[in-house]
Amino acid sequence: MNEHSRSGPRPVVAEIADIEARLEAQNYICNSAIATALFLAQKLDKPLLIEGPPGVGKTELAKAAAAMTGKSLIRLQCYEGLDETKALYEWKYGKQLLYTQVLKEKLGDLLQGAQGLKESIGRLHEFDDTFFSEEFLEPRPLLKALWEPGGAILLIDEIDKADDEFEAFLLELLSDYQISVPELGTIKARSTPLVFLTSNNKRELGDALKRRCLHLHIPFPDQALEQSIVRRRVPEAEARLNAQLVGFVQGLRKLDLKKVPAISETLDWARTLVLMHARELDADLVRDTLNVLLKYQDDIEAVDSEISALVVAAKKEAEWRVK
Amino acid sequence: MTQILSDFIRALRAQDVRISPAEAIEAGQALELLGYENREILKQGLSNALAKSVDEKGAFDETFDKYFEFRSFSGKTPAGAQGEQQPQEDASPDSDGDPGGQQGQGGEGGPPAGGGTGQARGEASAPPDQSAAEAAEADLLEILERGDRAELQRRLAEAARRAGVTDIRFFTQRGMYGLKIQREMGSERLDDMIAEARDSADPAQQSEGARLAALREVLRSEVRDYVERQLQLFAANAGRRLREEILESVRLSQVERTDMKLMHELVRKMAKRLVSLHSRRKKTARRGQLDVRRTIRVNIEYDGLLFHTIWKKRKVDRPKVMAICDVSGSVAQVSRFLLMFLYSLHDVIPNVRSFAFSGQLGEVTDLFEREEIDRAIAETLDRFGGSTDYGEAFETFESLALDEIDRKTTVLILGDARNNNAEPRADILRKIHDRARRVIFLNPEPRNAWNSGDSVMRVYEPCVDRAIVCASLKDLERVVSDLLRTAV
Repeated sequence: MNEHSRSGPRPVVAEIADIEARLEAQNYICNSAIATALFLAQKLDKPLLIEGPPGVGKTELAKAAAAMTGKSLIRLQCYEGLDETKALYEWKYGKQLLYTQVLKEKLGDLLQGAQGLKESIGRLHEFDDTFFSEEFLEPRPLLKALWEPGGAILLIDEIDKADDEFEAFLLELLSDYQISVPELGTIKARSTPLVFLTSNNKRELGDALKRRCLHLHIPFPDQALEQSIVRRRVPEAEARLNAQLVGFVQGLRKLDLKKVPAISETLDWARTLVLMHARELDADLVRDTLNVLLKYQDDIEAVDSEISALVVAAKKEAEWRVK
Repeated sequence: MTQILSDFIRALRAQDVRISPAEAIEAGQALELLGYENREILKQGLSNALAKSVDEKGAFDETFDKYFEFRSFSGKTPAGAQGEQQPQEDASPDSDGDPGGQQGQGGEGGPPAGGGTGQARGEASAPPDQSAAEAAEADLLEILERGDRAELQRRLAEAARRAGVTDIRFFTQRGMYGLKIQREMGSERLDDMIAEARDSADPAQQSEGARLAALREVLRSEVRDYVERQLQLFAANAGRRLREEILESVRLSQVERTDMKLMHELVRKMAKRLVSLHSRRKKTARRGQLDVRRTIRVNIEYDGLLFHTIWKKRKVDRPKVMAICDVSGSVAQVSRFLLMFLYSLHDVIPNVRSFAFSGQLGEVTDLFEREEIDRAIAETLDRFGGSTDYGEAFETFESLALDEIDRKTTVLILGDARNNNAEPRADILRKIHDRARRVIFLNPEPRNAWNSGDSVMRVYEPCVDRAIVCASLKDLERVVSDLLRTAV
């Protein structure tokens, strides 16, 4: 690193800023924390485990990274009961059945002239067996990602929803980018994929998994970042409205709610407000559209009494921001 | 430079951030990639590699800020330019008479940062280390006289490295490390000079001695502050850990009110440990229906003849636990912790029904599910407090829940079996025992106090599978762990 510090320009800082800019070109607004994590994941060839509350753009990051690098995105959605036949590979057993039948017909030709059982078996052994070969392997997402020429972006979504066994089963892939198929042996990645894992922390992930990954925690964005996300995604919302609605959502997140609104909800709300030709926030408008932001009746009722105060606070904040 | 990182990792470990060697190596690679230029980026990158949960991120941020306090990063800030001068300075320790350079270094007076540079220097120039030490001795006085704080800090950090201050664990070690560091810095010579000056009859010499003593005091206070900060960095948790260890084995009835918060924390931690230990074995499979798809797949090898059969697995859930807790004065404290324990284990034992009794018995399951645990306990004590009557409690339990006990149910009874000479009703306990998978009696009293006075342990003991002394958190943990291991 001394080389970096001695030479005037700072390539690392520039590279990270570059990643930030390229992500922004994909409509993904991020901060340097996310860009740094992505930079390290690329340079160190390490999987990136992304945690954070739902709706902060964990999955989106993988998609944006795929678009940014121009690699194909292979996605594996995890759920309870997911096993290797769905995640890794499956034998094409229909074709295998046909193969055995074809083989049976050809068997006569093959064994022609063979004398006795021993020689027949000897002939059979000489015969190149393709029953368990890559031809009959049906690749599932993980294997596809390893086979993808030029490397792929592999997104293992919501890993916390999968079982512990599956987590353990991923370890080989994550540390060595290879998988073992009992009938064939080890299959190595043709070129290293960039792996993203996302988790909502529904359950605590194992240490072994965490150890193999770089860890990025994406919290809810702060006011400035969220404003720029809204500006990018819903450009129709005027600056004042933008600042006000983001301020309001930020206020909501401080309350004790069953489900706090995420970025996607902020965006939905912004679109709703734009559709209603709103130019400014007021308490009635908020009350009418609150169901876009909050998904539980309990939450809506709990917030009801706070709306006026929150709107006033958001306006004040927005006034200051717009200036 | 790796010295800085490994010290940083030690500081992190002291803050309960778990870091494996593999992760440390990764952090080293990240550091090499990112360099020291941009503080924010370095922090993020190391955080990616080292801190792997939200809690750990918090601890990481705090430690990073403390450890790299005042560290100047070249670039953005003007102080950076001076930061780059350091390596040159390090290479030739003799040239540090240049006042300009030292002035510039004032910005990074923070000892941990100084520690970093000092260590880096030690590594870079291992052989001249000895001469550097001599030089330090030679002009320690001069530095003190000049009041050059930056240079003093630099030497201090270097001496601290030689004294191994990062091994500090307890606040009682402050004095020892302080002395060691001062000695490493060459304070002995200064002390000699002071003593000599004081002993002499010459008044001029004596005032010189007083002046030297004042300088000596400056050194002492600098060292003390430095050691204090190192203690914070490397041993912040050691004292707490020691206390936790003691609390784990202290008798629950003896726990001071002031320790309650820590105890709660501890129960939560133990419960978490137990959950992670046992949740993995939760899915013991039992043979169920034929899995047609997988059976066909496996049997292709045999031309479709079904040699191997594969069965769908059925998950077997954890058993039911019923806890009957005495909440009268003598046992209340232990009951409180048992209930806390059981409810912290909700992930592994989903079916806990709890009953509390003293005078009467009542079900408190809802109460604990609804309320904060402290409030629930207070309310339980309020509702069921009174003079203990095991007989009546068992009678009520029989009418309330006996029917629901099946062979998967474990019944825990927590109490001291002091029945105030009332009818013990061991027959009901036997009934419970006959229906349940097993009955465990937990008694917080030491075994030799059982059966003394009005204790009816001798009547109850034959009716239960096990009777165990359960007085400390450790005992409780053992019981609960046992419960989890043998249940299914």
